[in-house]
Amino acid sequence: MYRRTFLKTVPAFALLAACGKSAKTKLALNWKPEPEFGGFYAAPYSKHGLDVEILPGGTGTPTVQMVGAGSVDFGIVSADEVILARSHGNDVVALFAVFQDSPTGIMAHASRNLTSIGDVLKDGTIALESGLPFARLLERKYGFSHVKVVPSPGGDITSFLHDEKFAQQCFLTSEPIAARKQGASVKVFAVSEIGYDPYTTVLAISGDSLRKNPDRAKAMVAAVRDGWRAYLDDPKAANQQMNQLNPTMDLETFAEVADAQKPFIETDATRRNGLGTMSRERWETLIAQFKDLGDISQTIPADECFRML
Amino acid sequence: MRKTLLPPLIPLVVFTLLAEFLVREGFVRGYLVPAPSAVLRAMVSGRVELLHALLSTSAGSLAGFALSAVTGIAIAILLSSSRGVQRAFYPYAIFFQTVPLIAVAPLLVIWFGFGIETVIASAFVASVFPVIANTLSGILSTDLPLRDLFKLYGASPLVTLFKLRLPAALPQVFTGLRVSAGLAVVGAIVGEFIAGGGLGSVVEVARTQQRIDKVFAAVLLASLLGLGLFGLINLFSHLMLRRWHASEQAH
Repeated sequence: MYRRTFLKTVPAFALLAACGKSAKTKLALNWKPEPEFGGFYAAPYSKHGLDVEILPGGTGTPTVQMVGAGSVDFGIVSADEVILARSHGNDVVALFAVFQDSPTGIMAHASRNLTSIGDVLKDGTIALESGLPFARLLERKYGFSHVKVVPSPGGDITSFLHDEKFAQQCFLTSEPIAARKQGASVKVFAVSEIGYDPYTTVLAISGDSLRKNPDRAKAMVAAVRDGWRAYLDDPKAANQQMNQLNPTMDLETFAEVADAQKPFIETDATRRNGLGTMSRERWETLIAQFKDLGDISQTIPADECFRML
Repeated sequence: MRKTLLPPLIPLVVFTLLAEFLVREGFVRGYLVPAPSAVLRAMVSGRVELLHALLSTSAGSLAGFALSAVTGIAIAILLSSSRGVQRAFYPYAIFFQTVPLIAVAPLLVIWFGFGIETVIASAFVASVFPVIANTLSGILSTDLPLRDLFKLYGASPLVTLFKLRLPAALPQVFTGLRVSAGLAVVGAIVGEFIAGGGLGSVVEVARTQQRIDKVFAAVLLASLLGLGLFGLINLFSHLMLRRWHASEQAH
């Protein structure tokens, strides 16, 4: 009796250990669970034969390096990160672009009566991630000699609320909503206005993993596409799930942001070619901008940067 | 000189060569850990920017550290004045040790603005506690016979403090300062992440550009700054203690 149970248990444990090791697919996010990841939480992974563990991130989570190093199977990155990574020999490939137009923008106080991004830079303070290409494009186009540039507070709006002359880099679908909730009157400008428009919230994989396990990548993309369709149609369930993980954002804000981000995710291009689609022309434009800024010296073939499965 | 320089140089050379080998041979990928030669190149090509950043971070760390030294010692003297004062305020001094600097840094910006004031405040918060704790422990552990001797001659508490207890506490004060010097540099860089400027900004920008070689170059300069401060304190410690304290006479 004793022995029999023992003999049965051992292989069971071995099987369990094997499963735990190989089956879980890891997806690393580059920020906390928020609506920009809604489709990833809504995705029916098991329907596509996947068991996915989503790992939330924070400020500066180096997802692009994690994907390249193989410490996660998939990661959320942005198109500009893919190009920089490839220029450093980190073989990362984009599979699915959630945000077709970059939701990056600048928010300022409406009381300043600004009419363009150029106006924002005429005086006061601006919080930017000055290493990002759009910041340097701004500097090249308008110059930073009249504005005080300070580090981006990464989603925190305390300084903004505190100072009428303070402007900051933002996610158009996030900080402005938070600021309005706090009673501020906000004017926003999209960075795509100056012609810089990388795909963002992009699902990426390492080239190595894509070659070794193309079927899993295919299943992942299909699941994610289903997930985003579901989230666009009805974000409620996924919002509740994300709210549990990230209670600092209330459900009402989750719903507002999910609604505000729709036009960035569903565009003419996605209606033609499906959610997450990417085009070679867009990648080529971006690569040319990087070369022009001097961030990369070599030519990176656009076709290597992304793969539509 | 040869005896103090040679021992630390050996591990430096060994580790540098090892890292270079591992990256060159592809055991470690260059975008995860840069080759030492790449860090060196980043230092040379970015020397103007890095030097400016280093000066700015040095100013912030030094000012924060000086503030820590002065107020830390002053607070320790106050705390040592009576058991009651100590019981009432010491727990609040521990606040400085446990405060999560990253979490309060945005508040520092609101109070002190985007500039070196925030960097100094951040360096101060990070580095004041070891000075308080070590100085206090030094003042409280004066040799009892010596204290009796001062009492016997009718010395006032103030005279006892400045002629006996504080000088006798100097070795511990210097221990506190040594710990606090490194923390001041860390605090300054955290402040720069939030308020801008200095090596902190260089690290931030280099990180968004995936220039890990430059990140390491800036980090290396920050550690050299910490090492420099440490050396400076050792020099002071030696000058002040060499005539009477065992720790500075052994060699």
